[in-house]
Amino acid sequence: MAQGRILAGFLAPHPPHLVYGENPPQNEARSEGGWEPLRWAYERARKSLDELKPDVLLVHSPHWITQLGHHFLGVRTLRGKSVDPIFPNLFRYNFELSVDVELAEACCAEAREAGLVTRMMRNPNFRVDYGTIVTLHMIRPQWDIPIVGISANNTPYYLNTKEGLHEMDVLGKATRRAIERTGRRAVLLASNTLSHWHFHEEPAVPEDMSKEHPQNYEGYKWDMRMIELMRRGQTREVFRLLPQFIDEAFAEVKSGAFTWMFSAMGYPEIPGELHGYGTVIGTGNAVMEWNLVKAGLAEAEQVLGAAALSQSAFPAPSRG
Amino acid sequence: MTIVAAFLVPGSPLPRLKPDNIPWGRIAAGCQRAGRALAAARPDVILMYSSQWFAVLDELWQTRPRLAGVHVDENWYEYGDLPYDIKVDTELAHACVAATRRIGVASRGVNYDGFPLDSGSIVASHFLNPEGALPLVMAANNLYHSAETTERLGRMAAEVAHEQGRRVAIVGVGGLSGSIFREEIDIRSDRIASHEDDRWNRRILDLVERADVAALRTELPQFAKEARADMGFKHFYWILGALQGKFYGARTHAYGPVYGSGAAVVEFTI
Ligand SMILES: [Fe+2]
Repeated sequence: MAQGRILAGFLAPHPPHLVYGENPPQNEARSEGGWEPLRWAYERARKSLDELKPDVLLVHSPHWITQLGHHFLGVRTLRGKSVDPIFPNLFRYNFELSVDVELAEACCAEAREAGLVTRMMRNPNFRVDYGTIVTLHMIRPQWDIPIVGISANNTPYYLNTKEGLHEMDVLGKATRRAIERTGRRAVLLASNTLSHWHFHEEPAVPEDMSKEHPQNYEGYKWDMRMIELMRRGQTREVFRLLPQFIDEAFAEVKSGAFTWMFSAMGYPEIPGELHGYGTVIGTGNAVMEWNLVKAGLAEAEQVLGAAALSQSAFPAPSRG
Repeated sequence: MTIVAAFLVPGSPLPRLKPDNIPWGRIAAGCQRAGRALAAARPDVILMYSSQWFAVLDELWQTRPRLAGVHVDENWYEYGDLPYDIKVDTELAHACVAATRRIGVASRGVNYDGFPLDSGSIVASHFLNPEGALPLVMAANNLYHSAETTERLGRMAAEVAHEQGRRVAIVGVGGLSGSIFREEIDIRSDRIASHEDDRWNRRILDLVERADVAALRTELPQFAKEARADMGFKHFYWILGALQGKFYGARTHAYGPVYGSGAAVVEFTI
């Protein structure tokens, strides 16, 4: 078996509004459109993903919150209707997905080996969270690629950002080892919004784009600053600023997906491709891609592997 | 007064899912005693607020006449499913939605097939309304609402029920101290995560039993902070609001740990 590799990572936020705006057959709610620039951004990302031809998509979602460790979907087929608890008027989506259980188990085992508490979710009636489903629909509406679903352990909120993100860093490295060991060609999806200040009331017509704009100017400026650094490939600076960004822009990257993804990729200092940016009910969302194949990093696995795994944006906190 | 009973019950699904584990079984037994007391009070409707049903825009109220399905808890799926079949008093729920304007809160009803009910609402209605005979009015925990706003919501809901001539049981669903163990434990010897949390829980339960509302109002903010009380203990303020800030005592049917966090079943004397 050839050694597995990570082909690319995408920042792939999950506002259900994007599915609502698109009107796919799986969603019950119907719209007149809306949030087009973000949906067109996802169109470009879909095309890029298609060219990568991955075996598996791994998604880390902030809306499967777990308290006792990091959990992995572990049932081969999961189906049901996903209704967004906050926006049930917009998102009532019938899904069916297949899970790469072998890879999920490998991730779970590697993470446990690395000292994290981990669990496999084996209950066939489990309702997959809407963050996972929105991200997966937006990046691959055909649902023809198996997935690995990873929960967001609440450590960043329960303890503090740095300790929490240290765990996500460990989880990312474990994920990479599992991908390499199982021979998968994998794409990582960080299901995160950037600045997360939002409006508290929805317009009468949710897709009325004359009402859509950044809720908070400071949040918008933070988003632009971070995106600009990402576009330039200044990954180290991005992660130096991340805790401050999280505090000052209430950024959803606090939940860990973004750190997990970059840790798994070895924090590459390569320019991210911005497919598009837009706000949803005031929050800042960027669809971005770090294509390791184009950057020549996916092929350099053997050489890069060890070096990548030694890097860490959030070293283990020293305890008294 | 049309409030005929009031209860605080935990929202953790563990006592429901695994009552054969002795520490959790004790809490389940306490919930069942509370269920019998509720039935004996012969209410027309249960007004329930669950700390685990999150809202972030408007305050949400269930307005679907019947909610039935199978829920799986996102943390404790390994212990099985939570089937539910709940009737909603839609007339009263719609009246609550309309009346929140009085207190400056925006509300909306939710009436969607497949809407994800929270574990707390499901578990509480199982224990307190085991046959599903009574209709419920179910209100969400808006994460941006303060304890004071939640108290006003509870008060308003009780007033609307009174206007409609209902006999009401008030239920707040949520835990006490909120620290759970972060690693695997032997569940048979589950305990409150720290001595300080345990002391805080007992102190609050003692004040509730003595109906010392003034002391509770003083101490609850500190309890919320120091013991990481579940959602700022807003589920208690819902009850307090509905009781117009006044009750005469309370009986603790059970108190104990659920994976380190504090859980109590309390029946208020009204
Ligand atoms: Fe989100």
